[in-house]
Amino acid sequence: MVLFPYLMSGTAGVKRITIDLSFFLLSRMVVYAFLAVISWYLGKTFLTNQVVREVVPGILYIVFAMMLIWYAVDRNRQKECPAKFVTTVNNRKLIPVFLGVVNSLGFCPALFLILTKGASEGSLSESLLAFLFFFIGSSLWFLPLPLAGKLKKKKVFETIGILATGLAGVIFVIKGLTILIGGKING
Amino acid sequence: MDNTLPGFSLRKSFGKSLLYSLPMILITFVFISGGRPDFSDPLSAIASLATFMLVNVLYFLMHYTGKTDRFRAVLFIIFALSLSFTLISNMVETRNSMSFSQADILECKIPFCHLVIPMMIIPAAFTKSIIFPGTILGSFAGIASMVVLWLVATLVLGRGFCSWGCFYGGWDDGFSRLRKKPLLKKINDIWKWMPFAVLLMVSLTAALSLVPTYCDWICPFKAVTEFEEVTSVESAVKAGVFISLFAGLVVVLPVMTRKRTQCSFLCPLGAINTLSNKITPFTVKIDKASCTECFKCVAACPLFALNQEGIKSGKVSVFCSKCGKCLDVCPNNAIHYGIKGVPSGTMKKFSRNLILFVSFLFMAVFASGSIIITVRGLLDLIF
Repeated sequence: MVLFPYLMSGTAGVKRITIDLSFFLLSRMVVYAFLAVISWYLGKTFLTNQVVREVVPGILYIVFAMMLIWYAVDRNRQKECPAKFVTTVNNRKLIPVFLGVVNSLGFCPALFLILTKGASEGSLSESLLAFLFFFIGSSLWFLPLPLAGKLKKKKVFETIGILATGLAGVIFVIKGLTILIGGKING
Repeated sequence: MDNTLPGFSLRKSFGKSLLYSLPMILITFVFISGGRPDFSDPLSAIASLATFMLVNVLYFLMHYTGKTDRFRAVLFIIFALSLSFTLISNMVETRNSMSFSQADILECKIPFCHLVIPMMIIPAAFTKSIIFPGTILGSFAGIASMVVLWLVATLVLGRGFCSWGCFYGGWDDGFSRLRKKPLLKKINDIWKWMPFAVLLMVSLTAALSLVPTYCDWICPFKAVTEFEEVTSVESAVKAGVFISLFAGLVVVLPVMTRKRTQCSFLCPLGAINTLSNKITPFTVKIDKASCTECFKCVAACPLFALNQEGIKSGKVSVFCSKCGKCLDVCPNNAIHYGIKGVPSGTMKKFSRNLILFVSFLFMAVFASGSIIITVRGLLDLIF
């Protein structure tokens, strides 16, 4: 829900994904499954009290959503690809795998939000499901890239992505506030 | 008279205007009376006659005065008000309340509106199911009839649907006309892409959660139609969001900017209709030979479809809803309705007559039912 427009508004290089897209996506899926387990375990360990279990995610939603909104409105953010060091890897077959891992671990506001969701879920399967949706939503963007790589360069798509990112942030602020004042939101 | 001459006018004589109005008079008569006028209930007959007169007088005046938007807007605003009146009175009659309960959702009793359509497409394609708790073939706001109406209108009119067919657009159109001059003039162009962002978000969230998220969380018109019963913090927050968005985007900002801000900055269906503008045969064109670049049309456009660069290059953007406001303010009739493939500056009268007939007929047929019910309701109150 969040990363799809988030990536749309980003400027990270993706050309090399066209070569080994499947390895790239597979490595992302593995990392997200790992993060789902970690976040659920941390939630289960530290968010034991019912009040804490509702208050902490509520606050985190608001904080990370604000970061997401800041990402959307800040026009001076670093535009360099965080996975630049991967170019130093000599083994060509490993590059898409490394890229997948680095891309998944690019701790952006959207990932923080989904980590919060994973931690606040009641069971491991629910946490895995949340990350699966996150993986699907964030992978959709990569699928047409081999065919339509130039799409991202168009200013209008970047604008829509930025606006959608800001909108997602506003939605999560409302979600966080609702949880904090005692509401329960599904989805 | 040559279409490109400065003295060119779209006004017609009384007789000619009446002649041009005849097809509309006949079709609306058949539609409103069902072919057989019934005088057994005098109040219903008066309501039908008043609606028939209103619709046809407005259409006649469009031809007689050569003005489009001022008469379109009258019917468009009455349509929006009467639709809300009809919906609310229907709900009060059937449920004794404007709010719906969980039981109404489970029994699929929620009236369907066209704003749900963008959220239905992906889930319908993958799950073969409609994610809205309404009736498919119901006589009142059924899903099938609304989808067909919208599809036909948007294929023919493109984003013209937003100014000739949408029963909510009249709300912010009405409020945008309250002040003569805008208080807020400079609005960043970037916001006109917001409906696409909303479309992206609600399509994704609806596909993942199988819930029409726009209706559930965002729709400002919940404030004047129906809303979820406030029984929890979540439903109270939702009600707060609906009312805030209605107050902000439908009332305050249109008054301050003289623009239709809800339609320009939020509506996801408007985004889809904008795309359909690419395929519709009807359009608005700029006759560069007659244009003096006074940019009155840019200031008047309620949907940010015109800008100075576009006028200079003779282009109207895909955001145009063919409302006709720019046509009315142009001192030289340089901006005009046109048909794709026909050079700008030619066939101005023919294009206008054709587009007015199709667009107005759609609005008249779509609106007359709710206007009759509203007039009848008002007559009941008086007598």
